[in-house]
Amino acid sequence: MKLGLVIDLDTCVGCNACAVACKQWNTSGTTGPLTDFEPYGKDPTGVWFNRIRNYEVGDYPNSKTVHFPMSCMHCDDAACVTVCPTGASYKREEDGIVLVDQDKCMGCNYCAWACPYGARELDREDGVMKKCTLCVDRIYDENLPEEERQPACVMTCPTSARYFGDFDDPNSEVSIISRERNGEQLMPELGYEPVNKYLPPREKKKVETYVNETNSIKAVKDWVNRLVAR
Amino acid sequence: MHPALSVIFFTVTSGAGYGLFAITCIYNSVSQTNPLGAHGVLLSSAIALGLITVGLISSTFHLANPKNAWRAFSRVRTSWLAREGLLAILFYPVAALYMFTVWKDVGGYNWLVIISMLSALWAITTIFSTGMIYACLKTIRQWHNPLTPINYILLGAMLGGLMFLFIVSMYEPVITGLVVTSTYLIIIAAIAKIIYFFWIGVPAGPTINTATSFTSSMVRLFDVGHTAGTFLTEEFGYEVARARLIALRWLVFLFAFTVPGLVLWAGVGFMPISVVFAVAVISAFVGVMIERWLFFAEARHVVNLYHGKQQC
Amino acid sequence: MPSKLPQFEDHSNQETKFTTCYMCACRCGIKVTVEDNLVRFIQGNKNHPINKGVLCAKGNAGIMKQNSPGKLTQPLMRKQGSERGEGDFEPVSWDTALDYLTKRLDKIRKTDPKKLAFFTGRDQMQALTGFWAQQFGTINWAAHGGFCSVNMAAAGLYTTGQSFWEFGDPDWDRTKYFMMWGVAEDHNSNPIKIGLEKLKRRGAKFVSINPVRTGYQAIADEWVPVKPGTDGMLALSMVHVLLKNDLFDWEYVLRYTNATQLVVHTPQEVGDGLIYRDEEGQPLAWDQEQEKFIDATLAGTMPALFGEYQTPEGKTVKTSFTLLAERYLAEEYSPEVATKTCGVPADVIERLALEMAHVAFEESIEVKTEWTDWSGKKHDSFIGRPVSMHAMRGVSAHSNGFQACRSIHLLQVLLGTVDVPGGHLAKPPFPKHVCPPIKPAKPKAPGEPLDGPPLGFPTCPEDLVIDDDGNPLRIDKAYSWEAPLANHGLMHMVITNAVNGDPYPIDTLIFFMANMSWNSSMNTGKIRDLLREKDDKGDYKLPFLVVADAFHSEMVAFADLVLPDTTYLERYDTISMLDRPISEPDAVCDAIRAPVIEIDRDVRPWQEVMVDLATRLKFPAFTKEDGSPKYEGYKDFIINFEKAPGIGFLAGWRGKDGEKSLRGEPNPNQWGKYIENECFFQYKLAKHERFYRFANKDYLEFAKKAGFTHTTKPIIMELYSETLQKFRLAGLGLYDGPQPKDERDQYRTSRFFDPLPEFYIPLEQRCTSLEEYPFHAITQRPMMMYHSWDSQNAWLRQLLAQNYMYMNRQKAEEMGIEDLSWIWLESKTGRIRVQVKLMEGTEKTTVWTWNAVGKQRGTWGLDPEANESNQGFLLNHLINEHLPCGDTGRPITNSDPITGQAAWYDLQVKIYPAKKGEIGVWPSFETIKPLPGSERTKDKLRYQTHEAVRLNRSLKDILTRGNTKRNK
Repeated sequence: MKLGLVIDLDTCVGCNACAVACKQWNTSGTTGPLTDFEPYGKDPTGVWFNRIRNYEVGDYPNSKTVHFPMSCMHCDDAACVTVCPTGASYKREEDGIVLVDQDKCMGCNYCAWACPYGARELDREDGVMKKCTLCVDRIYDENLPEEERQPACVMTCPTSARYFGDFDDPNSEVSIISRERNGEQLMPELGYEPVNKYLPPREKKKVETYVNETNSIKAVKDWVNRLVAR
Repeated sequence: MHPALSVIFFTVTSGAGYGLFAITCIYNSVSQTNPLGAHGVLLSSAIALGLITVGLISSTFHLANPKNAWRAFSRVRTSWLAREGLLAILFYPVAALYMFTVWKDVGGYNWLVIISMLSALWAITTIFSTGMIYACLKTIRQWHNPLTPINYILLGAMLGGLMFLFIVSMYEPVITGLVVTSTYLIIIAAIAKIIYFFWIGVPAGPTINTATSFTSSMVRLFDVGHTAGTFLTEEFGYEVARARLIALRWLVFLFAFTVPGLVLWAGVGFMPISVVFAVAVISAFVGVMIERWLFFAEARHVVNLYHGKQQC
Repeated sequence: MPSKLPQFEDHSNQETKFTTCYMCACRCGIKVTVEDNLVRFIQGNKNHPINKGVLCAKGNAGIMKQNSPGKLTQPLMRKQGSERGEGDFEPVSWDTALDYLTKRLDKIRKTDPKKLAFFTGRDQMQALTGFWAQQFGTINWAAHGGFCSVNMAAAGLYTTGQSFWEFGDPDWDRTKYFMMWGVAEDHNSNPIKIGLEKLKRRGAKFVSINPVRTGYQAIADEWVPVKPGTDGMLALSMVHVLLKNDLFDWEYVLRYTNATQLVVHTPQEVGDGLIYRDEEGQPLAWDQEQEKFIDATLAGTMPALFGEYQTPEGKTVKTSFTLLAERYLAEEYSPEVATKTCGVPADVIERLALEMAHVAFEESIEVKTEWTDWSGKKHDSFIGRPVSMHAMRGVSAHSNGFQACRSIHLLQVLLGTVDVPGGHLAKPPFPKHVCPPIKPAKPKAPGEPLDGPPLGFPTCPEDLVIDDDGNPLRIDKAYSWEAPLANHGLMHMVITNAVNGDPYPIDTLIFFMANMSWNSSMNTGKIRDLLREKDDKGDYKLPFLVVADAFHSEMVAFADLVLPDTTYLERYDTISMLDRPISEPDAVCDAIRAPVIEIDRDVRPWQEVMVDLATRLKFPAFTKEDGSPKYEGYKDFIINFEKAPGIGFLAGWRGKDGEKSLRGEPNPNQWGKYIENECFFQYKLAKHERFYRFANKDYLEFAKKAGFTHTTKPIIMELYSETLQKFRLAGLGLYDGPQPKDERDQYRTSRFFDPLPEFYIPLEQRCTSLEEYPFHAITQRPMMMYHSWDSQNAWLRQLLAQNYMYMNRQKAEEMGIEDLSWIWLESKTGRIRVQVKLMEGTEKTTVWTWNAVGKQRGTWGLDPEANESNQGFLLNHLINEHLPCGDTGRPITNSDPITGQAAWYDLQVKIYPAKKGEIGVWPSFETIKPLPGSERTKDKLRYQTHEAVRLNRSLKDILTRGNTKRNK
């Protein structure tokens, strides 16, 4: 299995639901708590696995605002895993999820340096690296209803801009949708083969205009009453 | 990249230590008339080991969770950091064997040459690994090139060489050959550094366009999505004004190369020879510390593209 | 297959409960997992009609609302001798607090009940609070709609009988063309998001009309940057294009609107512009076959849509559609002229109109279902014009918003898209008749309940709540000549009016969940001073102020009595059909909240307190004949109170055994039934009752039975509003009834009460030099904070704790303003110093910021150093609550002259760079003291409900794996 996400840039409105759902689930999850610093003070900050950035593409008035959620791409060739000296970072053989063993990490930040996507954040309080687990503690939990065995971010997304599934299965939803809509990798030139794909905005919808060649009204008198029964 | 003092100190001192150790070994095995004698060689080696050890200890201050530091050797199969750690730790028995050989004068000349070369090679390989820790990161263009390990080795050797001069000077006042060698090392290291600075000045690598997959128009950051800094901005968002960077580069050339080079030749005669070499060593250390600080401060991690940089 | 994983969650120690979210006004169903009285996880309820399993950022941050150190913990009384606004409080018991309040209120009630003003903020229990006010006998009650979006509600109800806001939805499953006007986020937060995705998936076109491209606008297929306050002109120009091309739904307009009704044309005479009626008061039309005047409401006739006729009395009458067409065919509405006003290129205006026409008429759809119209005629399908629209505060919060919204409705009606498949669909209890037959209550004798709710729908000057001299009777001057159709009151004027004794002083003001000393008031600094203002004797001009809230908002410091509310996770609540239900277009729905965690401090749900007060004050509806309390508390009241026989707060599981829906006798186990059913009730409309409900016989009968409407007559949409014309005639002195005496009222009613949707320049601009103040300054709330009064939320504030003033990059470059530099923003009312941020997606004459991010130091449980209090700012300081038109005469509210909707977005400003060294946000306010018993803020937060169960990698794996790539 090769589990990962598809993010639909055509429908993401940047509402941050996924980011907060992620925070909410994972702070009590297997790598929790996700420490927050100065939660009510100056410059509040904390550990998040999923952050939404916002860009503008092109110049006014032809600019397009793009909301851009990013979390771990669970790369096929995960440099963060390659560089990890302790073996705390690993990519699970069975499903490709990249994880950090919280009990083995020494907090050297090296994996974060190797990751181009900013997917890893050090929890300074615990001294260990934390990151998206693809909700490994949800997706295999048989005590959860089957439809809830998905990452919290996917489950909550109001615009269905997030899909979760197995890219090894050519007939999975994620495989089909990334094929059909030309799902793209970010910074493919680095060669890490990120599993997560981004669907580009759809082609602008073209609508025909109604051209009424027979009738051009200049004044009310140009209309002739029709016999329409009320 | 945020320049972490512990890491700067580690790479400079342990680099100098390995450099000194390697030069000590090489000089002792090839020089026909070693003025140091066993005592001097052991002293030099011990100083080298001291620097290495201080550096390695310093590197652990960089760890957020040092209690797991012992695990750092687990992944030599893939991790340059693990390799460097393992090489560094295994260097101790090699160094011990070398020092034992010198101390007890056992094994004959051939053995001395073998153990000297092994130790020197090990030391240089360890510096190389330190360099590779950084050079293997495709995410940081300024590091991801062969000049990184070359610079590490050359600067380690240069510092080691200057220190060796200083140590030797306490035993033997006239050592022209070594001064010439050191000068060559300074010149080569300086040239390598010049090439490096030119090389990183040429824009290359991923852009905000490839980072976001929008490649046909200008992409601008509108909002980064958080008000205060995050781990990512603190670790990778380090920014120094261009003018300051340039000034610091001049300081690197001044302290690391120019002053040591000048005092080696011009200082002799004006002051006691040990003072001359001490000035050279101190100046070079200051210079290389600045160089190392710049090495981090000028490094631009590609994650900055997501924070609005057009190219790193 | 996955290797064996540890058991991450001990589900046996967890409980799952359902309730309704209250992080904003969207009211999604949530499923809450609780562990040791702590919230483990809040997720969307997949069965819930509103959110269908999804949940927004706010909903997901509920844990941090519950966890906030800004929660109030006990009733507080202002310390004797301390000054209002200092926030010096003494804890008191609930008994002391309520005894004191009861005594005070009882005296008011028995002497002059309107001396109690009760205004509620972002609550959704207006059916209860309004009923309470009615029982108390005060006309001075309203909720916050007046400063929110009353223009949308009112324009809809006075035009089509259904409105935007949360009261209707585009037909997301069928619409092919969706035009969104002035929407940042909405009460309909998740439904809109779900809907937009459906649109995009189906390949429908999404056009966004908005000066700023963020949020929803980001994913629009076409973004139309319009100048703020000119949406009405844009809509009417599209109307012009449609008419000119003869592209409107002739049959729809003829059958379902008042287009054929004849309007008397006797300029300068009493009665001009009113509908020509027969003796019974029925509107008349001209029948083309019979060639005579006929009752326009009759079926089977052949009324003329166009035409001018002479009545037997010798008057000229024209069909209202003739007037309409004459109006909008005029050159001033042509795209070439309109573009000068709204900034949208003429060809774009024309194209958009013709695109919609194409979709409406060339791509129309059909839903095959047999249905019967109001006249008894059977149809075998519903014809759909799949163009839909949604509009909200960008249109609403202008002083021309009512007419702008009517203009959008006109566009919808011409395209035949109201309540048809693919169009805009009402949610029950809507549509209502135009307009609902509830009149605003007038004062009664002390001690007596009002005859009806304080708010209603005036249809003529006689309905105004004014005295014999024409002066306002309500403290907010709603339903006076200043704001005749103020259907939601004018909460934003209450403090100013009460302190100035204009129209009269009051004794006690109760605010529930409203931040009137901060982001919910215009002119914040002045309002804060007013709250502290004393008379000659040294007494506060506003003698007693009660604040009920769950959080330590900026308002709390000004309270004389603080009554602490619970959070939404700790209480029972109803989201009622009598109020603002959660219905879907095809289903009648309501919901409840039920506690999911126990209360851990001395707070009480406000609705419980209201029932308690009602009982203590012996309101007739809450007291048995023997004087004993009728209800044991809120829960008891909710299930047993009947508004009309069989109709109560909750529509589900009525009848003794819960077997009846919508109408039936009280069910003692009704709460239990709701809880069993995940806290919501849903009654699906039959397939043939889902469209054309304004004229759908079965639906109209159903609606009357369910108590939604008062009659089964069809709902006739009023493109031409006789109601407005009556007020206009009054202003012109041509009305046979009350007329305004003040010259300005005469001008305002005669100018703005146009019976046809009309564009006029917003009021502030009419007296402001655009050369001097060339920018429109507006605000919006970020999605993750929309309507959530929650900036103290530890998670959400990490995303946004500081706001900037955003402006167009090119414009800034022209002016030499640099990114992130400090600028002054100056209006006629004041100036603020803020940091500017440049962006592409902002119309060039617009500047904007995120609203309500700025907080006063020390409030909301935030550290005084918090970014919100030091770098965050409010635009409110620049907005005057009175029109900044320094002319003579009495001050007039800065609101829509028709509805009293606060005109937040009319603001005009100038911008100039701050001088060197002028850095930092200005103005700033004093630091509020911590409340007694409040927690100190922590510098670290490590929320978890159980110790994490780790997933470990085996040593063998560490030692034997190669790199990840090679492994594949």
